[in-house]
Amino acid sequence: MPAIIEIKDVTKEFKVLNRREGLKGSIKDLFSRDYKTVRAVDSISMSIEQGEIVGYLGPNGAGKSTTIKMMTGVLEPTEGQILVDGAAPYKNRERNAQKIGVVFGQRSQLWWALPLIESFRLLKDIYRISDEQYDGMMKLYGSLVDIEPLLHKPVRQMSLGQRTLSDILAAFLHDPKIVFLDEPTIGLDVSMKAKIRTLIHALNKEKNTTVILTTHDMGDVDALCRRIVIIDKGKMLYDNDIEHLKGFFGSYRTLKIRIDGDMKEIAESIQKELPDFSVSADDEWISVLVDEEKAKVIDVLGRLQSSCKIKDMQLEEISTEEVIKKIYEEGVS
Amino acid sequence: MKLKRYLALTRAGIIEALQFRLGSFVIVVGNLLYLIVVYFLWKAIYASAGTKVVNGMTFSDTLIYLVLATALFNFMEMYAVWEIGRAIQSGKIVLDLLKPMKYRTYLFWSYSGSFVTNFFMTFLPTFIVVTAVTHGAVHLGLNLLCFVISVVMAIIINYSIDFIVGTICLYTESIWGINIMKQVIVLLLSGATIPLAFFPDGFRRAVECLPFQSIYNAPLSILLDADPEPKKLVTTLGIQLIWCVVMTVISKLFWKASLRRITVNGG
Repeated sequence: MPAIIEIKDVTKEFKVLNRREGLKGSIKDLFSRDYKTVRAVDSISMSIEQGEIVGYLGPNGAGKSTTIKMMTGVLEPTEGQILVDGAAPYKNRERNAQKIGVVFGQRSQLWWALPLIESFRLLKDIYRISDEQYDGMMKLYGSLVDIEPLLHKPVRQMSLGQRTLSDILAAFLHDPKIVFLDEPTIGLDVSMKAKIRTLIHALNKEKNTTVILTTHDMGDVDALCRRIVIIDKGKMLYDNDIEHLKGFFGSYRTLKIRIDGDMKEIAESIQKELPDFSVSADDEWISVLVDEEKAKVIDVLGRLQSSCKIKDMQLEEISTEEVIKKIYEEGVS
Repeated sequence: MKLKRYLALTRAGIIEALQFRLGSFVIVVGNLLYLIVVYFLWKAIYASAGTKVVNGMTFSDTLIYLVLATALFNFMEMYAVWEIGRAIQSGKIVLDLLKPMKYRTYLFWSYSGSFVTNFFMTFLPTFIVVTAVTHGAVHLGLNLLCFVISVVMAIIINYSIDFIVGTICLYTESIWGINIMKQVIVLLLSGATIPLAFFPDGFRRAVECLPFQSIYNAPLSILLDADPEPKKLVTTLGIQLIWCVVMTVISKLFWKASLRRITVNGG
């Protein structure tokens, strides 16, 4: 099967004005031609097939949004080639738009003041959806979520969760080949997150829609993606099955403790005591990244408790950021 | 069916505008206050002039002109500069660009709903009141048809100017100052705040060479001219048509070039 998205050695550079400090500097900046080039995306290649759900991960500012904007046709790559369904998206943005759907978790494409059903009707006309297809889609939605109470509610009166759900339904309405979901579960409660994951999963199964999902929530990735792509500082770090990655980092846990006194100093002494694990401290917590293959978390905690008085503790799964940090430091083969 | 997609946007715009009923009433009240100010201002001007006719216009001529100009303003003003500027600042423009429609067209038709509601809620009532109160100052005949054609072209010219100014926001990333400047220039040079007849001769001739007078002066002079010479009518409409085409082309090209700049260098 041919790939629906084909990215080859794509690089995107931005020109940014070098800003100077202070009032004098700001005035000078008005006439400055002193640009520096920032490389947001650095020779990325990947190939995505129809029907895949790909988790696209990376810390803030890694270049995720830039890549997505290039795939949607809003940005043009500086170098390299992107093909979406066989055509370069930026060359004919309107035609590309017909084939894709987008959800940006932070903003809504729905008409703020109108009941949801009116937004749907409008999208139906804008995307030239046939009556049959529209009815079919509404029936499908009805079977997946409790849509009826939402339809007649103005979008501005919706909760964030309802709005996100509606935005996802709107993005799938014209049966696009690809849907881009940018942090769809941001700021939602646990049950809403679960609902949205189920919905995305079902729509992907039902319509064989390709889904590109960016998120910071490992729960989203676990529930939906089999394949993940990680980028940082514009460079691709990882592109493979999620199982593969878990094999590497599944045994890591972050132990966070709070102790009275100067955290930095204590962190240093703990680091000496536990040379195998990386210890870091911020204003609130001392974090110890424990590899459970080397030592049990409970044993580490015991040792710490014998040497200092622990006021509070938390145990966390390794976060995306930490996975990426580890990949960045150690690499994955 | 291309038109269907556009009319769908018009329809949504009408529903949307009707959601904010209170807003329309506030606008009506605000206009009333503005018109009261205009009334006393011009009354004072005519009183100090000492003659009944100033620059070929009587007091009631001027007042009728300005009342209708205000009504026209409420109906045609799109605030597209705000919309574009805000979309750029908030980044919402990315979502608009991802609609399978040209942004310029999309925005225009999104606004068309408010034309319809404002026409019925502000312009038409004002027009009826003015016609009834002045007993025949507004001639009801063929000039009405010409007026409608003229207004449609005025809307297109006005939108193109708004769109050009909105596009400038892509470069400046600030809206407020630019918008105020645009509004002052357009309202003054189009004859919306002061009839063009009151301008000094040289200045007036210069203004008549600009596109702005086609927005307010042209439709209003057609409407208020009870006995138009066909030649003058055709010239007015012809000049409007030329500006219509020129401004549309400029705004399209400018947007295209600017959009290229964004897609190459990011927004």
